[in-house]
Amino acid sequence: MSERPAVRLAAVSKRYPMHTPRGRLHSLKGALLHGELWRARQVGRGFLALQGVDLEIGHGETFAVIGPNGSGKSTLLKLVAGILRPTTGAVEVDGRVTALIELGAGFHPEISGRDNAVINGMMLGLSRADVLRRLPEIVEFSGIGPFLDQPVKTYSSGMYVRLGFAVAVAVEPDVLVVDEILAVGDEAFAHRCLDRIARLQRRGTAILLVSHDLGLVEQLAQRALYLRGGAPVMTAPAGVAVARYRSDVAGEEAGAGEPAGSARRWGNGAVSLDAVELVDAAGRPLRLLASGESAAVRIAYTVRVPQEDFVFGVAINREDGSHVFGTNTELDGWHPERLAGSGEITLEFPRLELAPGRYLVDAAVHAQGGLAYDYACEALAFTVTAPVGWPGSYAPRHRWTPHGPAMSPPPG
Amino acid sequence: MSAGTPPAGVVASLYRHRGLVGVLVARDLKARYRGTFLGYLWSLLNPLLLLAVYAAVFTWVIPARATSNVPYPIFLFAGLLPWLFGSGALLDSAIVLADNGPLLRKVVCPPEVFPAVTVLSHLVHHLLALPVLLAATAVAAGMGLLRFPWTVVLLPFALLLWVLAVGGLALAVAALAVHFRDLKDLLHNVLNLAFFATPIIYTLDRIPVRLLRRLIEANPATPLIEVYRDVVLLGVVPSLLMWAWAAAVALVFWLVGVWVFSRLRETIAETV
Repeated sequence: MSERPAVRLAAVSKRYPMHTPRGRLHSLKGALLHGELWRARQVGRGFLALQGVDLEIGHGETFAVIGPNGSGKSTLLKLVAGILRPTTGAVEVDGRVTALIELGAGFHPEISGRDNAVINGMMLGLSRADVLRRLPEIVEFSGIGPFLDQPVKTYSSGMYVRLGFAVAVAVEPDVLVVDEILAVGDEAFAHRCLDRIARLQRRGTAILLVSHDLGLVEQLAQRALYLRGGAPVMTAPAGVAVARYRSDVAGEEAGAGEPAGSARRWGNGAVSLDAVELVDAAGRPLRLLASGESAAVRIAYTVRVPQEDFVFGVAINREDGSHVFGTNTELDGWHPERLAGSGEITLEFPRLELAPGRYLVDAAVHAQGGLAYDYACEALAFTVTAPVGWPGSYAPRHRWTPHGPAMSPPPG
Repeated sequence: MSAGTPPAGVVASLYRHRGLVGVLVARDLKARYRGTFLGYLWSLLNPLLLLAVYAAVFTWVIPARATSNVPYPIFLFAGLLPWLFGSGALLDSAIVLADNGPLLRKVVCPPEVFPAVTVLSHLVHHLLALPVLLAATAVAAGMGLLRFPWTVVLLPFALLLWVLAVGGLALAVAALAVHFRDLKDLLHNVLNLAFFATPIIYTLDRIPVRLLRRLIEANPATPLIEVYRDVVLLGVVPSLLMWAWAAAVALVFWLVGVWVFSRLRETIAETV
């Protein structure tokens, strides 16, 4: 196995040109006369489908790309497959790449499954003799036996897809790019595909897959890239990226007025937050306190994988999502040394001078670079009371002193 | 910034994918007559019926004469066959990349393969129609209407030049049509005009206006068609000058076509 990664993307961006008839004419002229491609023109114009993606996929690794529709997943796959060229940045692929972007793409309906398999295999880079040698295997896998010499237009959609998949995997690529293909076909076929993908994994094939089936992603992939709006949100172990994506989606569905308790939470679980509480000076949990009282946020944690790089953070927000205050151990100058076992950390506020109302607390433990071990949004909710309903969030101690106006002081 | 694929890369890629081109041509031919009762016979029957229609019209309806003593229907047919091959290939090239869009967008697939397949498929049909022309010529020779043109042995050279020119144009048309959908309709009309601007239904020496004759002589398709008809029907060995002219035209078309295609190659997959 070579030292080079199977796939390497460095600062890759892809911009699609926005067409206007004039623009087309100009670009065509430019391409012909000056040899400048759209790539040159694209910089700064058009639709930025993907930006700033860095990625390395090792031989034998299975890597998933997740994210909502329109986040640039398919563009990324096509860049790796060599169907598209990046606008900026570099894409390197070590070995033969096969793309399963649309199964049976290019099958001609009028000719037989056998001929289509040969043509498809040759398009994927095999010689005619290679395809013919692997034909029994293709037929066996696709299970189209008696229909092999029938025109493809007589096939059911399942047969069509099975044949497409069988040909593509028969190529035995070094890098396999898979776009949402297991969504088609029946359960039995999906199992066979998974089985075949597992065989390719053992063979050392790097697999890059896009799927909305997050369970499948967790099952198949070691790592995942979470894309949103063309930009990478995180590259992390598949479970972590999926959890983050799920929590984002859940958050969007629930909208802004999400109650505390059904907290959004993500992280790789190397350290987990067991409890986040607001406590008084005596250490008793609080849910209600008067403005200006002392209080502390107490975080109890358990470490699964000892860390030397860690930051504890706390943020206080209003219910409408506006930030009130936030800090972390790194900001406040604490240097991490070792985090192991389980324990507690407390952030004390000698005077919590908040305006009356309800507040939500986020607590997190993460690496200095931002990789979340455990990030608990709205882990805690509390209510501040005050004798007067001051607006805003900050309620410092204050006093009016009238020197000119004739006013009577408040009673009491 | 890269200037796209070098022109030689397009030719090298065509050579490297010759196996694929071969099976795709075979697929086109198979698919074309799939499900028809007469199958490949149509490749022979179509030109035969065309010849029959021309023979009837130009013998009884509008009795027409070519310069030589060659029967006019056969004369017309000998010019029409290469023309139909060329224009058909070009018209199909204008849509071939769009038709194969799924392959270009979803499979890693060299785009130059498709115009090449289009031209070669049309060439095969042309080769299947040639026996009709040769048989008609032989029959006419048997009836004493003309002498059988043994110059036909030079046909491969004339045809090679024609294929080279059509191939180059097809590459350019295919790549340009991706960016300009209008090209298909434009091409249709240009080809119509070019048909009458090429000595196919008439001979050069029958043009009364001298300037017009010069103009039609300057039409790049003229030497190619003339060379073709000279060897396949008229029994004339074209002069060396004529060969050189035809070869130069063919070579220029080929090189320009390959150059245009190579310049636009990388934009094809994301535009088509």
